[in-house]
Amino acid sequence: MSNSLNQPSRSLWQDSIYRLKKNKSAMVSLYFIIFLCIVAIFAKFIAPYSYETQNMDAILQGPSGKFWLGTDSLGRDQLSRLIYGARMSMAVAVFTAVISLIIGSIYGAISGWFGGIVDRIMMRIVDLLFSIPTLVLMILVKVIFDSLDLFENPELKALTSILMALSLASWVTLARVVRGQVLQAKEMLYVEAAQSIGAKPMYILWKHIIPNIMGPVIILLTLQVPSNILFESFLSFLGLGLQPPFSSWGVLSNEGWALMKSYPHLIIAPSVAMALTLFAFSFLGDGLRDAFDPKMRGRM
Amino acid sequence: MIDKLKGLAFPALVLWILILTINSFLGFEMAPPVLWATGAVILFAFAVYVFKMKIFSYIFFRFIEAFLTLFAVATFTFLLLRVLPGGPFDQEKTLPPEVMENIAKKYNLDAPIYEQYYDYIAGVFTLDFGESYKYIGRPITEMLAESMPASIELGIYSLILAFLIGIPAGVWAASRHNKFTDRLLMFFSISGVALPVFVVSPVLILIFCYKFELLPAAMWSGTAYYILPVLALGTRPAATIARLTRASVLEVIASDYIRTAKAKGLSETAVLFKHVLKNSLIPVLTYAGPLVAGLLSGSFIIEQIHAIPGLAKHFVASVTNRDYPLIMGVTLLYSAILITSNLLVDILYSYFDPRIKLS
Amino acid sequence: MRLSLWLVVISSLVALSCTKKQKAEYGLKHEETLKINITSEPPSMDWSISTDTTSAEIQDNIMEGLVEYNFSDPELGLMPSLAKEWTSSNNAQTWTFTIREGVKWNDGKPFTAQHVIDGWERLLAPATASQYAYFLFGIKNATKFNKGEVKDFKDVGVKINEKGQIVVQLEAPQSYFPYLLTHHCTYPVRLDVIKKHGDKWTEPKNIVTLGPYNLKIWDHDKAIVLERNEMYYGEKAKTKNILAYMIMEKSTAITLFETGKLDVQTPLPSAELSVLKKKPGYKENGYLLLYYYGMNTSKPPMNDINVRKAIAHAIDRKEITTMLSGGQKPMTSWVPAGMFGHEPSVGTGFNPGKAKEFLAKAGFKDPTTMPKIELAYNTNEDHKRIAENVQAQLKRNLGINVEIKNEEWKSYLGKLKSDTPHIYRMGWVADFPDPDNFLNLMTSYSDNNHTKWGNKEFDKIINQAVSINNKEKRRSLYTQAQKILTEQGVPVIPIYSGVKHALINKRVKNYPVNVMDRRKYKKVVLQ
Repeated sequence: MSNSLNQPSRSLWQDSIYRLKKNKSAMVSLYFIIFLCIVAIFAKFIAPYSYETQNMDAILQGPSGKFWLGTDSLGRDQLSRLIYGARMSMAVAVFTAVISLIIGSIYGAISGWFGGIVDRIMMRIVDLLFSIPTLVLMILVKVIFDSLDLFENPELKALTSILMALSLASWVTLARVVRGQVLQAKEMLYVEAAQSIGAKPMYILWKHIIPNIMGPVIILLTLQVPSNILFESFLSFLGLGLQPPFSSWGVLSNEGWALMKSYPHLIIAPSVAMALTLFAFSFLGDGLRDAFDPKMRGRM
Repeated sequence: MIDKLKGLAFPALVLWILILTINSFLGFEMAPPVLWATGAVILFAFAVYVFKMKIFSYIFFRFIEAFLTLFAVATFTFLLLRVLPGGPFDQEKTLPPEVMENIAKKYNLDAPIYEQYYDYIAGVFTLDFGESYKYIGRPITEMLAESMPASIELGIYSLILAFLIGIPAGVWAASRHNKFTDRLLMFFSISGVALPVFVVSPVLILIFCYKFELLPAAMWSGTAYYILPVLALGTRPAATIARLTRASVLEVIASDYIRTAKAKGLSETAVLFKHVLKNSLIPVLTYAGPLVAGLLSGSFIIEQIHAIPGLAKHFVASVTNRDYPLIMGVTLLYSAILITSNLLVDILYSYFDPRIKLS
Repeated sequence: MRLSLWLVVISSLVALSCTKKQKAEYGLKHEETLKINITSEPPSMDWSISTDTTSAEIQDNIMEGLVEYNFSDPELGLMPSLAKEWTSSNNAQTWTFTIREGVKWNDGKPFTAQHVIDGWERLLAPATASQYAYFLFGIKNATKFNKGEVKDFKDVGVKINEKGQIVVQLEAPQSYFPYLLTHHCTYPVRLDVIKKHGDKWTEPKNIVTLGPYNLKIWDHDKAIVLERNEMYYGEKAKTKNILAYMIMEKSTAITLFETGKLDVQTPLPSAELSVLKKKPGYKENGYLLLYYYGMNTSKPPMNDINVRKAIAHAIDRKEITTMLSGGQKPMTSWVPAGMFGHEPSVGTGFNPGKAKEFLAKAGFKDPTTMPKIELAYNTNEDHKRIAENVQAQLKRNLGINVEIKNEEWKSYLGKLKSDTPHIYRMGWVADFPDPDNFLNLMTSYSDNNHTKWGNKEFDKIINQAVSINNKEKRRSLYTQAQKILTEQGVPVIPIYSGVKHALINKRVKNYPVNVMDRRKYKKVVLQ
């Protein structure tokens, strides 16, 4: 019985993937993102130098055969910093998305599923978080988490406070979306049908509702990744970015923009990298929306 | 007459804001009596609207809800601040204990937390947010009132720019769905959000203020000063609005009643503007609520780069200075703006789409 | 029809609204206005309370103290200001100041000695809660008055004698006492004005001052306009107006400077100095700032003197100053260059060979066995570059891995107090140019000494030196103290002494440049 109920959702997936594959710009973006992830993961083997080795004899040099993208104010190779920057920027963006996805969907699902007083209280809390200026909230969380030492690994240590600050700002949106979707799905007939044959709520949630809300959530995530990258750069601007010596595109563009008049090479590279990535995610997001949105079916 | 006023409420409000905006954009200020008189007329029109549409109790409950939210925000922020490491009077040169004691006494920091909390909340009720720790002797209310105009001006100009560009661009793109124009417009709208503002703004300054010396780079005292910051702040929401409008116009075009309208033989443009646009504005409005709050409370980066005397710096500096009263002040102000604009948007919903009932 | 009605309404509303807003130039003539940038809104114009340099820059131009620095003296002597002359007796424990006659406040009232006393009483009063109250803690009973133990200011050691002179009784000898009176917190005040206007007394329409300039406009968060005070007792200010903008962003301010809209810009972004240096208006001058790294001597492995010495020997200060490329002077001793007591020969200098020896002596022949060391600094571009460089140097010269950690300023300060990291960065700007101001901060009882290091002999020398009036004798005592600090105990590693950078338009002559970075504009001439 439940198998046959599952049928439409599976074919929906296949259908969507088929439509995504036909969308050229989305596929190019997808390949670019995969390439970026490979660069990020294997940064150690790709980068010509370390991201932290300083060379006082080669401060602020322009692009050359030795340093393809020049050097920064501590004589570090800009290309290597850019490659390692991809690692940190992507880590921040993706982990934030994942954390906010987990918290947001659990929260939203519970709120939407149980409804009534639970829903009301939970949504009031969300409203409360919405009403506090994101900036204030993020700085407060960042400062508090910075003063705690939670991890030994330096990379993780540098990441935690930023992840916390950014996730806190973004899970709320996800929770609202998921709640809305759950409410919609609950209204649908097949849930009633499943309930009427006595399936447990958790089972229904897993088997019927979650597959149905995956579409909008995935789209939202592809839209959140670029905004996370931008927000991370914004934190760098405030001086609350990643702990040195790690680099991220936000750190790099923040180091670069003030010197733009004298050393344009410092700002061009991270800007281009950031812009390309943001483009890729936006196109992929659009492609996904077109592919997953049932209303668009047959109109491509 | 009364019935007419009811219908006038929204157009009059929009018109009023437009006139104020144009005035201040051109460097004029409306004379206070005129300002108050016109404001009062609009308020009256709204009262009539509320009365006629029988949404008085709705608005009343929304106010109660807003009040509770503000109360919760105040409590939450207050508690969060006490967890924050570092105190407001820590500085490079450590102060002798005697001096610290006097300061704690002056600002009531030596009282138990619940007493401080009680005092604070009691103060908020009388709109007294206390005095700043950093800007000694200056009441928070006064500081916020002083820095709000610049932020509001910047926000409204950017908002108007965003809607002026965003909505037509979105409609245009949708009407050319999947054609070259559509692709091009969407490409632009993505590039509008592809770079951090702190890269875009300095580039604008470099071009317009340094290389060509056409516009002033900083400060906020005349039409020429507004152009660059508004451009920098407005493009991002314009891009988002364009994408939202495009998506919702596409959705509406596909719906049945538009097909009917087309079948009746109405021209493409007439259908687009008469039927489609009005119905597709709702998702855009949903975005407008938080957007208004975001824009009115200022943009930290743009205000810093262009030296605009606005609110936004307080959001950051108050925390880094541990200026507790100021943090509480800006937070509550932001919440109030957000709640108000969300309420307005909800009323606008029912105005645009009478099928939506407010309750 | 309806449209035209609307048009009428709109146009009449527009026509009715005809007040022009304030312009960025405030109607001042370019030729007689010096345009400077004070970067941010001055927190308070109340000179008894304010603690920051932005406010001080304005206050120093609208007010004056009893004495003033003589910046033409290489060791920074004092010259008369509101006090005509002063003498000390009883081994620098009693000071007598004779007030200048004929000085008038800008509301026409004559200046008297009582205004000075009023200022000091207000500074010390517990209700004022001034952070700088400790400036006068040397005066007899002043600390008790600030604590509230002494209620009547008459019991505090400040009197006006029958000749109208101010007589100050100190708790203990203080050879540098007159230097304190150059600071804005000791300036005279007008209690009648403060009483009349309350917290609003510092607004331009209320404030009463006696310096070379008057506070004319204070457009909060935008600009301050100062205008020449025609009633000033001394030589009148050369330039009629000073327009002080509040532009936080350095790169924006530099653009304004380069397009002629600002006459002076300071500070400059340090990463860009190598380029700005080549610009025609570039100026750099020494500044009494000591930049140092402190070590928590109670936290292993920093509790081992050999480890501390190894680290001090392993840091090449010259490499850091070269990197900063702003003209900073590398330092191994404690008192910065440009003032009395500076002894460049003292200290634990760069010597990688010795560094390794000391490390081996401490039992870390294999540097990888070294426990985790944390180097902390507060979030700031320069501190970051220096910390990253020191991290790289320690790796290169000693082979040890130091973990660097930045924290936002206030939580960093909180951390220094509660749980001082192994190595931390700190700076000290001279309150007054006396070695005591620098060396006192490393005494075992100083609140500013976060190293947990204390040395009885060091404390004794500092106490002894302050009561001596003989300059050469003091010099040798301070040299000895610096040796104990930077060669024997080594709880601190001095890095460099500071520099201030500015871009100055060529039409500005006589721009005030000095080691205390006091900016009094009365002598500035515009061409």
